[in-house]
Amino acid sequence: MTLPLDGIRVVDSTYVFALPYCGGLMADLGAEVIKLEGPGRPDISRTGGLAATFPEADPGEDWWNRSSTYNLMHRGKRSLVLDMTDERGRDLFRQLACVSDVVMENFTPRVMRGWGLDYPNLRKIKPDIIMVSNTGYGHGDGPYSSYPAQATTQEATHGHCWITGYPGGPPSKAGASFVDFLSTWSAMFAITAALRYRNRTGQGQWIDLAMYQSGAMLTSEYLMDAIANGRVGGRIGNRHPYRAPQGCYPALGDDQWITLSVGSDEQWSALCRLMGRDDLARDPALANVSGRRDNHDRIDEAIGAWTCGFDKHELMHTLQGEGIPAGPVLTGRDVHFDPHYRSRGFLERVTYPAERNMGTRPFIGRPYKFSRTPVSIRGPSPTFGQHNQPLLEGLLGLDHESYRQLAQDVVVATAPTSGNLEVRVPAEEAVKRGLMAAWDPDYRERLEDL
Amino acid sequence: MPGGLLEGVKVLDLSEDIAGAFCSRLLADYGADVLKLEPPEGAALRGMGPFFGDDTHPEKSLFFLVMNLNKKGATVNLETEKGRDILKALVPQVDVIVESYRPGYLESIGLGYEALERLNPGLVMTSITPFGQTGPYSLYQGEEIVNYAMGMIMSISGLQGREPLKHGGFQAQYEGGLNGAAATSIALFALERTGLGEHVDVSVTECVASTMMATQTMYAFTGGTQARRRASGSNFGNPMPCGDGWIIVQPGGGASWEDIAGFFGAPEMLESRFSDQAQRALHGEELDEIVIGAIKDQSKWDLFPKAAQARMLFGVVQDPSELARCPQLESREFFREIEHPVIGQIKVPAVLFNMSLTPYGECRPAPTLGQHNLEIYVDGLGYTEEEVSRLREQKVI
Repeated sequence: MTLPLDGIRVVDSTYVFALPYCGGLMADLGAEVIKLEGPGRPDISRTGGLAATFPEADPGEDWWNRSSTYNLMHRGKRSLVLDMTDERGRDLFRQLACVSDVVMENFTPRVMRGWGLDYPNLRKIKPDIIMVSNTGYGHGDGPYSSYPAQATTQEATHGHCWITGYPGGPPSKAGASFVDFLSTWSAMFAITAALRYRNRTGQGQWIDLAMYQSGAMLTSEYLMDAIANGRVGGRIGNRHPYRAPQGCYPALGDDQWITLSVGSDEQWSALCRLMGRDDLARDPALANVSGRRDNHDRIDEAIGAWTCGFDKHELMHTLQGEGIPAGPVLTGRDVHFDPHYRSRGFLERVTYPAERNMGTRPFIGRPYKFSRTPVSIRGPSPTFGQHNQPLLEGLLGLDHESYRQLAQDVVVATAPTSGNLEVRVPAEEAVKRGLMAAWDPDYRERLEDL
Repeated sequence: MPGGLLEGVKVLDLSEDIAGAFCSRLLADYGADVLKLEPPEGAALRGMGPFFGDDTHPEKSLFFLVMNLNKKGATVNLETEKGRDILKALVPQVDVIVESYRPGYLESIGLGYEALERLNPGLVMTSITPFGQTGPYSLYQGEEIVNYAMGMIMSISGLQGREPLKHGGFQAQYEGGLNGAAATSIALFALERTGLGEHVDVSVTECVASTMMATQTMYAFTGGTQARRRASGSNFGNPMPCGDGWIIVQPGGGASWEDIAGFFGAPEMLESRFSDQAQRALHGEELDEIVIGAIKDQSKWDLFPKAAQARMLFGVVQDPSELARCPQLESREFFREIEHPVIGQIKVPAVLFNMSLTPYGECRPAPTLGQHNLEIYVDGLGYTEEEVSRLREQKVI
C-alpha cells in the first residue's frame, strides 16, 4: 500500500509541541521524518515538563526517552543528535538538507540566520527545498517578531483568553497548549500543498508560520464584530450567543458532567418532557429563545436538578434520542473506554521493543480517515540519537573514522549533555493536592482488556 | 509571477456550517477555485451573527462573510430532482467536494461518495461532521459545546469545584476546518501519484481530542486523570490583573527565575518556597499575591516590551479591538480590505500563514446569495437564460 507521503524525507529540527507533532503525523502518512536535536538541547517534552508523565510515574535511567508527550509526538520518526553550534554539525545539516524534501524549524528568527541556514541560504544548496519556520509572532520587521513566546502566553495575546471565562469572571487560559495545534495543522496543510506545487513546477518555497496569527484567525467573528460594530465581545462561559438553554450540568458521580444545547422550541418541549417539568413547558416566559435566554439561570437550576440523578452517557443517549444535541464531558480516562472512540480506533496501540521497558501504550491517532488508504502510527519513538550512525554513515556517506571523531567531540551524542528532569509528585499525593483529579492504580489491567 | 499554491484545483463547497466553510475558504485563500452551493434560502451560517450594524439581513452576517471569502456562490435545491441533476452535472468539473451533512444524507438522495466518484474518478470528497462517518454516535447531533465536551478539553478547562468550561467562540469548528484543509491537501497530493480519489472523514470531536496529548497519555502512562485548575493559588501561568488589564507570565524562555524575580522587583520570589515548579505549586497563593501586588499599578503595554527584553515568556490579554489594530498583525498583512456589494469597504482577518513563492493573493468578498448563478448555469453548464428563469420559478435555484 502506498502511503500519501512515501518517499518524502523531512528534517524536523523543531522543539516543544507545534511542529514536532506535525512531524509525527507526517510519519504516520509515510514520510521519513528525522528529528534533529542538539546534544545539550534535548526537546523540552522529554523532561516531563508541560504536564508530561512517565510510564508508571518512573522516569527510569534514560528518562529522556520515556516521557509521554515526547513519545506521542515522535512516533515513527528517526532521531539524529547533532550539535548545530559546531561548524561540522552545520555542514552535516547542509548535506542532510540536500537529500531532503522538507526542512522544519522553530528557532527564534535570528538563530537560523546566524548559522547561515535560513531559507535564502538553504535554497542556494537545495533549490527546491520546502522550508517551514514556525515562530511565536512570525518573521519580518513587526514590533513583536523577536519576542520570546510559548502557547501559554500567546493565548493571552492572540485573544483566546479574552473570550474565554466564566460569565462575569476574568479572562481565562485554555486548558492545554492550545495554539500549538493550530500551527500543527496549518503546517500540515501548507507543507502538503507545497509538495504538490513542487511536483508540478519543480519549485520549493519558504512557509513562514506565526502561532499568533493562527490564534487570531480563530477569533475571526469577534474581530469582525470589533471592526464593524466596535464591540469587544464578552465572556459567556458555556452559553451560546443564540441558542438557549445551553450549558454543562452535573451528572451522577463525583466530578461527572453532561453538556446540552437547545436550539428550537421543539427541543425545549422535548427537554421539559424528559425532565417531567410540564410547568416549564407551559411557562409563557420560556416559550421562545429570547425568554429562555432571559431566564437562563432559573432554567439551569432545573436542568441541573434533573441531570445529577443520571449517568452522563445515559443522559447523552436519552437527550440525543429526543433530537437534543448533548454529550458527556469526557476525561483523559474516559476516552480510553468510550465505545465511539473505540469503534473508530482513535487511540492506536504502540508496542515498544523489550529493552525500552515501556510495554504497549495507546496514543492519539489522527482526526481524519481516508477511505482507500489506511493510515496508522508506524512505530515507536526513537531513542535519543538512535539513528546517528545509519543517517550519517549510511545516508550521507560519512566514513566511520570521522563519525567516531564526531562522537568523541560530542558533535553527535546518544545521551543529552544537559537538561533537567522535572520534579515529580507521586500519584496519590497529586490527587490529594488537586494536581490530578483521580487515579486508577489498576489502569494497566484496564487498558489490557481493550 | 507564479500561480497560486492550489491553482487549478476546483472545489464545490456544499457545507452550511462553520467547519466546512472554513476548510473550503482556506483552499480558496491559497488559489483553489471554490464554488459555494447554497440552498435557495441561503446557508444556515447567513443567519448567524455578528451582523454588520446588527442588521440581521442575510448579506450582512459577518460570520458568513469571513468564512466564505474568495469563493463564488450559486444556489441549488438538492431536495429536488432537477437540483440533484445540476449537482451531478457539476461534479465532473471539480476535483474536491467539501460537505458537512449528517452522515448518510447524501447517499439517501443518490449523491454519496461512490455515486459521485463514478461520475468523476479521482474525486476527493471531504466530509466534516461532529463525530465522523462511522461509530455509534455518528448520527448524533453535534454542537460546539458537545464537541468540546467529548473532545476532553472541557474536562481540564475552568476551575476545580466549578463546572468544566468551554472556550470562547467556535474553536472546535475552526479546528475541523483546519484539519479538513490539511486532509484534503494530503489527499490531493496522494492523488497525483496514485490517480485515486479518497472520501476523507474528518471528525470535529477528534480534532479537539487531538490536542489532548498530555491529558490522554497521563492515563495511559500513569493511570491519572488530569484535573482542572485549582480555584486559588494557580494564577502564575494564568491571566493576572495589572493596572489596565491582565498579563500572563510563565517560567522558561531565555529568562532564569532570578531574572523573573528581578523583573517584578520582588526578591522574595527567590526564597526556597518558590525554588522549583513543585514548590511554586505548593505556595501558589503566596506567589500570586507577590506578583499581583508588584504589577497592580503598572500598564500591560509598558510591561510587555520590558519582559521581552528580559527574554521572558510574557503576554498581555488583548481584546478583539486591540487585536484589530495590532501592529504585529499589520506587519504580517494579516488583515485585508475588501469591497462588499452590500456592506461596502471593510477590513477582514485573512492570512493564515505567509509563503515566499505562492503567497495569499487578492482577497475577494464572500458571494451574495446566488451571485454567480448565471455564470455557473449558463456559461458553465450550458443552460439558456430562459431555462435558468424556469429553474428559479421552480425553486430549484
